[in-house]
Amino acid sequence: MRVPRAIRAFVERPRLPRLEPYVPQANDPAIFWFNGEREDIVREVAERVAADHGRSVGALELALNDCAMTEMRRLDSQGDDEARRDLGQWRALSRHIARMSEGEQRRAVREVTTRFAEDVAGNFDPRVYRFAIRAVPRLLASLMQPSQLPRALTEGERVLDRLFGVEGDAEKLQRLEKVGSLVYVPTHSSNLDSIVLGRALEKAGLSPVVYGAGKNLFTNPIISFFMHNLGAYRVDRRIDASLYKHVLKTYSQVMIERGYHSLFFPGGTRSRSNMLENKLKLGLMGSALSAFAHNQTRGVDRRVFFVPTTINYALVLEAETLVEDWLKAEGQARYIIEDDEFSQLDRWVAFLRKVLDMQAACVIRFGDPVDPFGNPVDDEGHSIAPGGQTIDPASYVRRRGRATLDDARDAAYTRDLGEVLVRRFRHETVLMSTALVAHVLWRRIVDASPGADLFSRLRMRGEVSMAKEEVVAEVAELRDRLLGLQRKGKVRLNRWLAAADPAVVVDRALRVWNGYHTRMAARDVGREIVAEDPTLLLYYQNRLVPFATRVCGEHERAAREIAQLGLLS
Amino acid sequence: MSAPGEGRELPSVGVVGGGGFGQALAQALRRAGRRAQLWSRRKLDIEGVETTQELADLKRSELLFLAVPSTYVADTARQLGLHLDGEHLLVHVSRGLIGDDLLTLSRVLRRTTPAHRTGVLAGPLDAEALAEGQPTGAIVGTRFPEVAQAVREAIGGDALRIYESRDVVGVEVAAAVVGYLALAVGVGQELGVSPATVAVLLTRGMAEAARWAPSLEAKADTLYGLAGQGDLLAVAGGDERPEVRLGRAIATGTSLEEAGKAVGAHIEGVTIARRVHAYASKIGEQTPIAGMIADVVERRRAAPDAMAALMARQVGTE
Repeated sequence: MRVPRAIRAFVERPRLPRLEPYVPQANDPAIFWFNGEREDIVREVAERVAADHGRSVGALELALNDCAMTEMRRLDSQGDDEARRDLGQWRALSRHIARMSEGEQRRAVREVTTRFAEDVAGNFDPRVYRFAIRAVPRLLASLMQPSQLPRALTEGERVLDRLFGVEGDAEKLQRLEKVGSLVYVPTHSSNLDSIVLGRALEKAGLSPVVYGAGKNLFTNPIISFFMHNLGAYRVDRRIDASLYKHVLKTYSQVMIERGYHSLFFPGGTRSRSNMLENKLKLGLMGSALSAFAHNQTRGVDRRVFFVPTTINYALVLEAETLVEDWLKAEGQARYIIEDDEFSQLDRWVAFLRKVLDMQAACVIRFGDPVDPFGNPVDDEGHSIAPGGQTIDPASYVRRRGRATLDDARDAAYTRDLGEVLVRRFRHETVLMSTALVAHVLWRRIVDASPGADLFSRLRMRGEVSMAKEEVVAEVAELRDRLLGLQRKGKVRLNRWLAAADPAVVVDRALRVWNGYHTRMAARDVGREIVAEDPTLLLYYQNRLVPFATRVCGEHERAAREIAQLGLLS
Repeated sequence: MSAPGEGRELPSVGVVGGGGFGQALAQALRRAGRRAQLWSRRKLDIEGVETTQELADLKRSELLFLAVPSTYVADTARQLGLHLDGEHLLVHVSRGLIGDDLLTLSRVLRRTTPAHRTGVLAGPLDAEALAEGQPTGAIVGTRFPEVAQAVREAIGGDALRIYESRDVVGVEVAAAVVGYLALAVGVGQELGVSPATVAVLLTRGMAEAARWAPSLEAKADTLYGLAGQGDLLAVAGGDERPEVRLGRAIATGTSLEEAGKAVGAHIEGVTIARRVHAYASKIGEQTPIAGMIADVVERRRAAPDAMAALMARQVGTE
């Protein structure tokens, strides 16, 4: 059956009707101005990309051919509604490219980039934003406590806020968002991250942000509605055309140039292993640096601040699917996973109910911001040199007194910045109880199987056990060593964990795992704890891999082997 | 930094360090027609070169060469960094690696100065050849093409071919390894070993470095390029660099202190071999040649014994 165009457009881009345009107030966050600028942004993005590819006839032809070929290949393999709608157009274009005049090729590139930019560009509806910040906590609270529905509906925010803590210098970020564009770069563990982070920004009194969301997230109509109306731009990872990637990067760059606060997950996708990201995708980060340089060449002194952010869960919604994917043979792992726990309502409900009785089951930590060159910044946004003096960040993009654009230079700066962020992730990560308990049990598995390979250890289901007293003592010892690292600013511990009775820490970790995950991670059998599922234990302990050798005590050999896991991430 | 020249005249180039290599760089700059500023702790007078004892004076320069021994790099860079900003280009010429973790000097510069456009100049380039303008070549390790371009613009030319590598750490590691292997060449010469023995020592010395260097994120291939194997060819060819002379003096039984005075230069290799050996052991790699060089330098073992012990080791595949 053919779906009418208007209905299809609404399903693809659901928006609320508006009789009069929203007029932003002076103190509204930058994103409230977005819809008024949307058309202009799409035009600017399309023009810039077309101009970059239009410097020579050869480049135009190459861009069009690459685009037509990759799109035909993609649509052919998809064989869906989109293919039926678009495949013919790409085939027609492909047949004509070689016969086109330069002017026709230029127009064709411009049409393609405009279409891509339209597809990517988001939408922001202040009504949906206000509804979301009020309703989503209540909705989630109701799912968690259906028996206390009236309370959940009236006090949803309070219920939800008990579940997660927000750390970091929010006041400094509030000041910085007035003098520049903030680019949040969080670690990525779960599809819940963007929801949780959105709530954390609200809780910390910070402005909402624009962010790229995988098109797969737009398949759920409810999620799609919110995504479409809260500033998310669509990233279709299936499209391989270089013009499309250029449009994405340029869109992000133009948004930052115009002062919109942004969010990228620099790891690119959810960490399959639960290890902290140590290899970052530099493309979108580079767009923020290019935005700064581009503004400087136009005499616009708008600062850009990167905010390394860690999102730390005691229980990860999609843990089982993610770790399975990590352990698959090379080439079989999936970059996009559409059928995980995030898409199953019963798993959401089970997850939310499980974490309800925990305080701060998730901690979002906003780290100290840095400029695009990795320098720390003070409260007013001035960049600070290693010697303590303030320096002008514009000096990094100047040569012989003039601000310049230089892709090779900026790529080198972005790589340096990536290294700074990886270090910051380690220092700003907040370790949760489950990571410590899993580490102690995994370390025992390693100790019990000297020289064994990873997969042999993963097969040791229920074969290794520890006296409960011993687990508690080792968790206490591990926590003390980690507190030592925390004092040196090398890592953070969940505040509850830092002060709790170690026996309670162990009990809580077991309780959290068992009852949510479909497989039992570890079993309490009276005086002993049995490591039932080494795979889940490995997943949760992986957060500790960078610190393993520094907190190992007498378990040096096992710690060295655990540290080697870092090479697999 | 003030806007130098605005295209009318190329900006001046600074050299930090008045030792042999620093002075040679200043002379090469003068010969290339560039305005050279040379900073030294002691007062120097070099014709055609602006000398200073104030680091702040160097902020007028766009490109700065750091030519001080690695043990002084962090302190000097920290003081220099107070006068720099992101526009400065900073290139060091040291063969050092710092501390037990073999920290490279480009990382030290990154941590101590606001200049991020950094690099390292290495390869078969000795002070004498540089000062006299003899035909030779060098390599700049940098992630920033404009740094390599600035170095070429400053001292490159018909007599000095300057190649470029993005593997900064690889170039720095290669330079450090050549530093201690050159000591071994001097020792070997004093013992009267054959060129074949030297060839085996140097080739295997570089091969063992290729095992631990990747753990510092250096590419093994870089060790076999101009900064490593290329520089070793100059050593084996008899370039009489200070490291070789020091190795000869050590082999005669002269104390390290006296040998150092006689050579009249700071030799990085004397401490690096030991730290390389310890570092490699820590990550599970064997470095018998570095270990043996360290033993000889520290007089734990006589040079002939060390050579014999190396030759007696079990032979494996290459």
